[in-house]
Amino acid sequence: MIEKIYDNTIKETCLKYTHPSGTEIYMLPMGNYSSATARFSVKFGSQDNSFRTDGGNFIKIPDGTAHYLEHKLFESEEKDAFSLFAQTGASCNAGTSFDYTQYYFSCTDKFSENLEILLDFVSNPYFTEENVEKERGIIAQEITMYRDNPSWRVFTNLLEAIYEKNPVRLDIAGTVESISQITPKALYDCYNAFYNSSNMSLCVAGNFDPEEVCRICENKLRTGTTVSVETEPFDEPYAVAKKKVSLSMPVAKPIFEIGFKRPAVYGTDEIKDYIYYNILFDMIFGESSEFYEKMREKGLLNDEWAVSVFSGRGHLFPAARGESEKPELILEEMQRIIGKFKKEPPKKELFERVKKATYGSLVRDFNNVSAVASTLAENALSGVQPFAAISETANADYGILIQKLNGLDEENASISIVENSR
Amino acid sequence: MIKIFERKQIADGVFFNKITDRRFKLNRISIDLFTEFDDLPRAECALAAYALSECCELYPDYSRLSAALLDLYDASISTSTVSYCGKRCTEIVGGALDDRYALSGEKLENGLASLMCECLFRPKAKNGAFDEKVTAMMKTELIDSIDSIINDKSQLAARNAAKIAYIGEPDEIPPSGSREEAEKVTAKSAYEAYLKILEASRVEIFASGCSDFHETEEIFTREFSRIKRRCTVEKLCCKPSALKEKAAYAEDLFDMKQAILRMYFKAPEMTDRAANLIFSKIIGGMTTSRFFMNIREKQSLCYYCSAYSDRAKRALVCYAGIEPKNKNRTEEAILAELHDICENGITDEELFRAKLELKNQLKAVYDSAGSLANWFMNQLQDEEILAPEEYSELIDGVTKERVRDAARLYKLDTVYTLSGNNSED
Repeated sequence: MIEKIYDNTIKETCLKYTHPSGTEIYMLPMGNYSSATARFSVKFGSQDNSFRTDGGNFIKIPDGTAHYLEHKLFESEEKDAFSLFAQTGASCNAGTSFDYTQYYFSCTDKFSENLEILLDFVSNPYFTEENVEKERGIIAQEITMYRDNPSWRVFTNLLEAIYEKNPVRLDIAGTVESISQITPKALYDCYNAFYNSSNMSLCVAGNFDPEEVCRICENKLRTGTTVSVETEPFDEPYAVAKKKVSLSMPVAKPIFEIGFKRPAVYGTDEIKDYIYYNILFDMIFGESSEFYEKMREKGLLNDEWAVSVFSGRGHLFPAARGESEKPELILEEMQRIIGKFKKEPPKKELFERVKKATYGSLVRDFNNVSAVASTLAENALSGVQPFAAISETANADYGILIQKLNGLDEENASISIVENSR
Repeated sequence: MIKIFERKQIADGVFFNKITDRRFKLNRISIDLFTEFDDLPRAECALAAYALSECCELYPDYSRLSAALLDLYDASISTSTVSYCGKRCTEIVGGALDDRYALSGEKLENGLASLMCECLFRPKAKNGAFDEKVTAMMKTELIDSIDSIINDKSQLAARNAAKIAYIGEPDEIPPSGSREEAEKVTAKSAYEAYLKILEASRVEIFASGCSDFHETEEIFTREFSRIKRRCTVEKLCCKPSALKEKAAYAEDLFDMKQAILRMYFKAPEMTDRAANLIFSKIIGGMTTSRFFMNIREKQSLCYYCSAYSDRAKRALVCYAGIEPKNKNRTEEAILAELHDICENGITDEELFRAKLELKNQLKAVYDSAGSLANWFMNQLQDEEILAPEEYSELIDGVTKERVRDAARLYKLDTVYTLSGNNSED
């Protein structure tokens, strides 16, 4: 049965269908568009580095396995996925994050055929000694490329500083050393554990027929025994692992990223924290804030400054990044300002202004096919309804914002810096 | 006949282009002001662009301008200085939700167009100079931006390679100029550059989204009628980049682990636009390209190896991220792929795939207000403005022979490597 989920604010209807296997399928038809995008997601990312199935013993896998698996899954015994999608003119790709892996295509023609190709590839792994070995050099090059990227390094170092046990602190692609241990068997073990239908979701947006999507899923998705997979739990301390971490690389000006550690929250609570901390940080540290104006006037920040909330399964924290000759001073000033606002809360009219802007940016995500599919996929992975963020924002409450502000421990923060090595 | 695109001249050298499609939830407005690089100093113009999105008379600091944008439901205004067809393009881009989505009936499109005009026509200035405090801050940020190219190794390699590939041409130097030039900019010199841009540039305004843009057109027509105009840029096209008699080779060392190889091939005589595009797709522009399948997948030489065609310059630019020790092998592999296409041509399968991917991309142009604006902007380089589906027909007519002939026109011009000298972390 297809369930209709309507949002009155943006006047859009999302269709939800749960396949007998447990795979949730979200569809937002945009019939007057030319293209369609499908995203097939699995809750298996780099942070899932130790797991067990059906209550067995935990198995530790080499760092970077989820990413390696993603590289190899677009290859079958006969052909690679790129060649098959090329026959239909679709563009396809895949990506691995900390907490999920996603496979997707975009097309303006032959949508059904493309969806069948996507589901076939993700459902039929083909790993051999030879093809796994061939990929090692390519992935090693990718790892090296990211190691040369200061923006990526400052971010991954921040995760290492904030978390002591949470495996989100590990680099998505692993290291050249860790990927040398990955074997076809390890990939099959992970595939069999995580790539089962109940751990996956499919999100589709654009010009397509929803009935046809359901029919294809009926044919392609397996309904066999569901594997129960559990990632090894960890006891993450309240306090950040390190207050400061730094690294030297050639950069024009030191770049830095700051994170304020928060306990993990899930589902609707994650969306709430995501929205409220976004609004809060935009209010007190965003581009229209007094803080940013003063820091720029003093030459301590430039237009590279940005605030955000980093979130995913088991991790969420408000963050800020920028370039400065005195990054630690920026952190001190942010801590002082959070403390000050706890005593004298920011004005409600400022909250209303930023709330309206946050709503605007979320509505904009529903303006193009690719962004809609991404939004649906993110929400499906978080286990919330497709329009949850929009309705949470439209109904955001000043009193809750103040509670969130008071719940933020400004001293429990880390700073990651990339100093100039030249 | 292109139904959704309308174009009209609203002042001397000022064109208002509009693309209306009710599917979109937002409206996008871009103002592109084209000037010749030789006519005005680079750093001055770049700083002027920075100043325009910083504040204006009505909103005299960035906080207030940002607050005004927040009030328009997170509308955005940004400025940049880029090179387009060998000309300087000072661009102001704005975007806002359509009025239909305003919770309290606010007029967002009108608000955005008016705010963009405040920024463009009434910047914060006094006595023939930008505000001194604003200039000082913008100067710091311009210098930071020029310096920060070393943060992105791909961009650094592209900039260094362009100095050799396009020597003696407008794109030899980055559009924002050098750090030394930026240091010399004054509030007065930047303001003078701004006035000249406003007076002498060729202006292309693109309004795209779900509105009919009547009010936006009226606003811009009124604003441009108030200033004295003497447009000095007639056409948006440039000479093909000159092919060197002998290919140039250069290498720089930098503190990095991976090396970046860039190879420039040029074909000044190229006239077959559609065949050239297909050729660039087949050799390095798609996931089943020769470079991807043979250099990455079969030889495992790199994580990426791609190519694109720079239509205005008649250049094919190839680039790869490689281990320093694989530099010669990758260079040879790239040359071998080009040689093979010149000698043996392409397969039916390759032609079919490239056409299909291009036709899909052309259809998808209609799905975003930004891509529609970019499409029609790019059409202005040619005598005739084509809709995506009309260009699709041209693509369909390309034969294997035409692709091979296009490939044969390319000659190696520049090989540049930004090489790592850091093998340890």
